[in-house]
Amino acid sequence: MHGVDITAGPMARRQTGGVVQSVAIVAGLEIGGAALLRTFLLSDATWVVVGLLAVFGAAFAALQIRPRLEEHIAVAFREMRLFALLLGCGIVLIYPFLMQGSSYALHLLITAQLYAVLALALNFQLGSANIPNFATAASYGIGAYSSALLAIHFGISVWLTLPVAAVVATVFGFALGFPAMRTRDTYLALVTIAFGIVIHQLLNNFTWTGGPNGLAGIPAPSILGHSFNSPIILLGFRLPSQANFYYLAAALVALSIVCARLLHHSRVGLAWNALRSDELAARCQGINVVWYKMLAFGVDAFLAAFAGSIYAFYVSYIAPDNFTFLVSVTIMTMVIVGGMDNTFGVIAGAFLLILLPEKLRIFDDYRLLFVGVVVILFLLLRPQGLFPQRPRNYGDH
Amino acid sequence: MDMLLAQHLLNWLVQGSILALVALGFSLLFGVLNVIHFSHGDVSIVGPFVALAVMQYLLVEILPHTWASALILAAAVAIFATGCLGVALDWLVIRRFRTAPAMMALVATVALGAVIRELIRMLYPQGSNPQPFPELMSAQFEIEGLSVPISTLFMFAVSVLMVAGLYVIMHRTPLGMRIRAVAQDRDIARLMGIHPNRIFAATFFIASAVGAIGGIFYASSAGLVRFDFGIQLGLIGFSAAVIGGLGSMHGAIIGSLVLAGIDTLAQATLADGAAYRLVFAFLLVILVLVLRPSGLFGKPVFEKV
Repeated sequence: MHGVDITAGPMARRQTGGVVQSVAIVAGLEIGGAALLRTFLLSDATWVVVGLLAVFGAAFAALQIRPRLEEHIAVAFREMRLFALLLGCGIVLIYPFLMQGSSYALHLLITAQLYAVLALALNFQLGSANIPNFATAASYGIGAYSSALLAIHFGISVWLTLPVAAVVATVFGFALGFPAMRTRDTYLALVTIAFGIVIHQLLNNFTWTGGPNGLAGIPAPSILGHSFNSPIILLGFRLPSQANFYYLAAALVALSIVCARLLHHSRVGLAWNALRSDELAARCQGINVVWYKMLAFGVDAFLAAFAGSIYAFYVSYIAPDNFTFLVSVTIMTMVIVGGMDNTFGVIAGAFLLILLPEKLRIFDDYRLLFVGVVVILFLLLRPQGLFPQRPRNYGDH
Repeated sequence: MDMLLAQHLLNWLVQGSILALVALGFSLLFGVLNVIHFSHGDVSIVGPFVALAVMQYLLVEILPHTWASALILAAAVAIFATGCLGVALDWLVIRRFRTAPAMMALVATVALGAVIRELIRMLYPQGSNPQPFPELMSAQFEIEGLSVPISTLFMFAVSVLMVAGLYVIMHRTPLGMRIRAVAQDRDIARLMGIHPNRIFAATFFIASAVGAIGGIFYASSAGLVRFDFGIQLGLIGFSAAVIGGLGSMHGAIIGSLVLAGIDTLAQATLADGAAYRLVFAFLLVILVLVLRPSGLFGKPVFEKV
């Protein structure tokens, strides 16, 4: 899908398949994935969608049956890291040009990217530290509302509202993390559910947030005099105005990936993993459990707020019902289906769970039922997620 | 003033009783057996739908003009059917997550809840619309000018009876002893000749049947029922069980009365209290969990090293 290498650390056993083979694997997978996604986005025929899903399912069945394949791919991506990264970035950059000017396809991509950011944000907690958080949608909403209110009432530049909204949401994140320290597991899950519902209800009831009608008329951002509402015209190509937000969202995804990798390879990520394995043992090792848990809540809220702000500016209309408990559950499902603590997996999960229901609108009435059944089957058949987390490995880089 | 107060008190009793019936199921499953089952609210709301369907069938086909007996029969069928549904869900889905990480079971049962809601919506004729639900009993009597519906007293009596009954089952019968044995150590229980899966089935049956009673009461006190009522019923019922302390039967009813009390108080004293009722209820949940992490009547859990 997007150019993210899935290597999180070398495998214990090194296999070298030669440069040509690795390049072929990397290029084939990235270009093939992008082509499949493009067909999926642009096709209206049901049988095409179902056929693509079958291809996708077959690929994973192959991985399930032959784990060696997965290893080969991981090795190829690790050896050709720079090539994979550059090719991925290139694909992301030219992707809007391949959409035949379809603003619907771009809209789907933007939504999927924003949810990828949310899923990555939650991944810090759920994936890295195994802290259940059902309040990601609340942070998302706080971010969206803060920047929308600032932009509407004070006319503050959109770019300035982004960091402010992130800080506001982070404060709320820490505020949620603080009471959460005394509780664990199911009880902690309930605290975050309660927090999410309280935020949703408050947004729904305050008059200054527009109540259930929400906020409308959020100004579109502009950069160097180019408004995000006008189409991009480049070298004779004309991209619909959604392309602006596509690139903005892609930049945010890239930023989140960088954050995720830096944190994963830092002391913080290690401390979170230690918490996940055994909280008591982590504490005995001198890890400040409370601080790292709070930090996980803060980081989650920080990134989610960015996604919220961009969402608000993109659709220019937000309402409390965009940030309900069920949204949090969806984000959580993305992380679990994609693969906990695996950056690429989480993004893939987000794309899958956004695009699949959209394309199944043909079945309309059975859509939610289908998604529910798929999620349950998924958890039963491949509980480690699409892309399982990779063991950390130190040494032979 | 006194009349108003009395009305609020009655309202509080009804709400508390309904919540307690749903909370009991959560307390049994989460607290005693340590099963994560977030679709319990949706299972409970299946009850009124089955009752409605059966009642309409009875009134048209078999026993016309016998409203009361049709309702009683339909409710009985619905309670039994919902109990069986709980067992079936355990058998089909939930038991496969018994050894999985808690988060998996959590997301799986939330998805299961969505599946149940969608199935209700599609299987029930015009399931997307709210369905009117009859009152359980319309009679009321008067005390000093205050009219008290009999259904209020009936609901309260049933929920107290259920709490007492479950307490007796859990602590005074062989079944309860088996349930507690399985909860403590499944493998040792198996060595003692207990079939854990049967115990799980029995517990799911009890929890879902009691939940169905709660669902039917909820529908009849609201006068209507819709396919997605289960989300809120489940969330508030779970909160009530947690406030009371998971695993404690009397905790479930006290937690429910506390939550219902906050709700009623907010509606009675604040101008726009009705809009903020969920805010207060869930702020209370956070507060209780922070001050007493294992609920009001729960036993604190110590971690073994």
